[in-house]
Amino acid sequence: MSRWRPTPAEERWLAVAAALGDAVPRETLFERSGGWRNTGLLARSALFVLGFVAAALLVGILRGGGEVVLLIAGLLAIVAAEWLTVTRRLYASGIEEGLGVAGYLLVGAWIATNLAPRTAFAGTSVTTLVLIVAGGAAGLRRLNSFVTTCAAIALVSWIGTTAAARAIDGAIGGGLTVLFVGGAIAASALALGAREYRRPSHDRMLDWLVATLPVAAYAQYARWSALDPTQLAVGDGTGRPVAIVLLLTLGAAMLWTGLRRRRHAPLWGFLGCVAGLAVELHGAVALATETWLILCGLVALAAGVALERYLRTPRNGLTSAPLTTREGPLDLLQIAGAALLAKRTGPEAPPAESTFEGGGGKFGGGGASGRY
Amino acid sequence: MPRPYSPAVHTLEPEFRALHAEGVIDDATAARALARDGGRVFSVHAELRATLYAGVLLVMSGVGMILARHLERIGPLGIVAAIALAAVACGVPAMRARRAGRMPGTAAEYLLLLAALLASADLAYAERQFTLLGPLWSWHLLLLAVVHAAVAYAFASPLVLAASLTALAGWFGVGGTLGDALHVGHSTPELGGRAVACAALIVAWRYADYRVRPGSRFTDVFDHFAANLAFWGAIAWCLESPWLFAGLPVLAALAYASVRRGLDTGREAFLVYGVVYAALGVGAAITPRLHGLTVQLGFVLVVVCVAAATLWRLRRRLQEPGP
Repeated sequence: MSRWRPTPAEERWLAVAAALGDAVPRETLFERSGGWRNTGLLARSALFVLGFVAAALLVGILRGGGEVVLLIAGLLAIVAAEWLTVTRRLYASGIEEGLGVAGYLLVGAWIATNLAPRTAFAGTSVTTLVLIVAGGAAGLRRLNSFVTTCAAIALVSWIGTTAAARAIDGAIGGGLTVLFVGGAIAASALALGAREYRRPSHDRMLDWLVATLPVAAYAQYARWSALDPTQLAVGDGTGRPVAIVLLLTLGAAMLWTGLRRRRHAPLWGFLGCVAGLAVELHGAVALATETWLILCGLVALAAGVALERYLRTPRNGLTSAPLTTREGPLDLLQIAGAALLAKRTGPEAPPAESTFEGGGGKFGGGGASGRY
Repeated sequence: MPRPYSPAVHTLEPEFRALHAEGVIDDATAARALARDGGRVFSVHAELRATLYAGVLLVMSGVGMILARHLERIGPLGIVAAIALAAVACGVPAMRARRAGRMPGTAAEYLLLLAALLASADLAYAERQFTLLGPLWSWHLLLLAVVHAAVAYAFASPLVLAASLTALAGWFGVGGTLGDALHVGHSTPELGGRAVACAALIVAWRYADYRVRPGSRFTDVFDHFAANLAFWGAIAWCLESPWLFAGLPVLAALAYASVRRGLDTGREAFLVYGVVYAALGVGAAITPRLHGLTVQLGFVLVVVCVAAATLWRLRRRLQEPGP
C-alpha cells in the first residue's frame, strides 16, 4: 500500500467500482481499493477548476513579492495537493489534481522566469518547453490523462516551432512536420495500447493520445484556414497529397484497430482523421465552401443512418444501441449541443429602422417590454 | 467462448470474476460487466451521435452561408421554398417510424433536429426578408417554441424539445449562455427577472408534462434548462443593489433545491449546479463590496475552498445508478 498514489491493484478496484456503480455497495470495494476516494466526471471537472482557481488566487494574494511568488504559490499548491492525497486519500477527485497541476505550472513558470533571457533550445524559446515539462510531470504524478494529453499536444506544437522543424517544413511543405510528429505519437500510442498494462490510468493516457492527437496535430497543421480556399494552410499546396496520404493511413489503422480491439479511442481518432481529410479534400476540389459543408454534412448524416441501420441488430457483439439507460455526460452534452445549434439558427433582431424597442441585440428582447 | 478481438488489451475480468465468485455481484450483473469489459458487447452509440451531430452542424453552417451569400442569385422565395422542402425531407424518417408505431432511432432523431433547425432558419430568413410581423418580429421566437414543442411531443424527441426551450428563452430575452444573462451594467436585474420568469414557466411546463405523462423522457431536459436559467437570473440579481437582497435568498433556495434534486435522483450535474452557481453568486454579490484587492482575492479564495469542500462532501453522498 502506498500513501502517495493507489497501487495498480487498488486502481483496478477503483475502476471496477466506477464500472459497477451502485450495483455493488460502496463499502464492499472500499477496502480493496485501499481506501482511496474519487468522484464522478462532472464533479471532478468542477473540482479541478476550483483547485486551479484557488492556486491562481494564491498568486494574486501574494503578489508584490516579485517572481519568487510564483515559486511560493506553486509550492503551497503542491503541498496542499499532496496533503489531500496523503491524509484524505483523494485520487482522481479533481481538487488535488487542479491544485497539483497549477502548482507544477507555477513552479515551472518560476524556473522559466529565472532562466537567462532569450535562452534557446533547438532554435526556439525554452520557456514554453519548461511549462510543457511541468504540465507533463504534473499529469504523470496525478495519473491524469487529460493533463498528459494537453502536455503532449503542446509538445507537438512546440516541436513545430523549432529550427529543425522549420527547415524540414521548408523542404517538404509548411506545417507537415507537426502533422508527422503528431501522427507518429498517435501511432506509437496505438501500438503501445496493444500491451496489457496493470494500471487503467496508463491505458487511459494512451487512449487519450490516440483519440485526440490526430485532430489536434491536424488543427495545428491547417490552423483551420483550409476551409477558405484563398488561405490554404500549405502555401503552394505541395504538402496536401502528403497530408492526405498520412491521414488516410492513420485513419485506416485507427479504424481497423478500434474494431479489432473493441476500443473507443481509436474510433475517435479515426473520426478525427476523417475530419482532417474532409478539410484537405476541400482544398483539392473546386467547390464553394457552403456546398462542401453541406456535402460533408450529408455524407456524415448518411453514414450515421447507414451505420445505425446496419448495427441495429448486433453483429458479432457490435451494436449501435446504447448499453446503458443511465444519463451520462454525453447526454448532457447532446442537449447543450442541440440548444447551441438552435440558438445559432434562431431569428436575429431586425434592422435598426424597425420600430421595435429593446431586444439588446441578437436573440434577445423577445416578448418582454424591451426597455433596457 | 472465443473472444472476437485481440485479447492483448487491458481488462478487469479477474476482478469481476472474483466478485462473482464471492457472491458480491449476481449472475446477471457479472455477465453484463464481463461482456462489456471483454468487448463481447461493444456499442458505437457515442461515435454515432458525434457523427450525426457533426452532420447537422455542417449542414446548418452551409445553409447559413447560403442564406448570407446567395440571396440575389436564387431569390428569397426560392431559398425559403428550398429550405422548407429540405426540412420536410429531413423529417421523413421520423414520420415513417411514427407511422410504423416505433420510436425514432438516433439517426432519425438527429434528422428531425435538423428539420427543426432548418425550419427555424427558414422562418427567421422569411421574417427578415418579408417582415411578416413587423415590430412584433420577436413573436417568431414564441411561434418557433410552440412549433418545436409540438414536433418534440409528436415524435418524443428531447433534442427538438431543447430547441423549443432555447427559442422560448430567446423570446424571454435570455440567450443560451450565462454571459447572455449577465450583461453587467446593461439592465442586469431586468434580464435576471426574465431568466427567472422563463425558468418558472419551464418548471410549470415540466410538472404539467410529468403529471400527464409519468416517465416522460423530457423531465431531464426541462430540469437542466430550468436550473440553468433560474441560476443565471439569480446571479444577475446578485450583481446589483437592491436586487441583491432578493437575489441571495433566491440563490440559496435554488442551490438547496438543486442539491436536493441531485441527491434524490443520483444526478451529479445538479450537485455541481447547486454548489458552483451558489459560489459564483456569493462571490459576485459580496466581492465588489469589499475594499482592497487582497481582501477581495482572499474572500474569493475562501468561497472557492468552501465550495470545493461542499461539493466533495455532497458527491460522496450520491449513489450512482448501476450499469
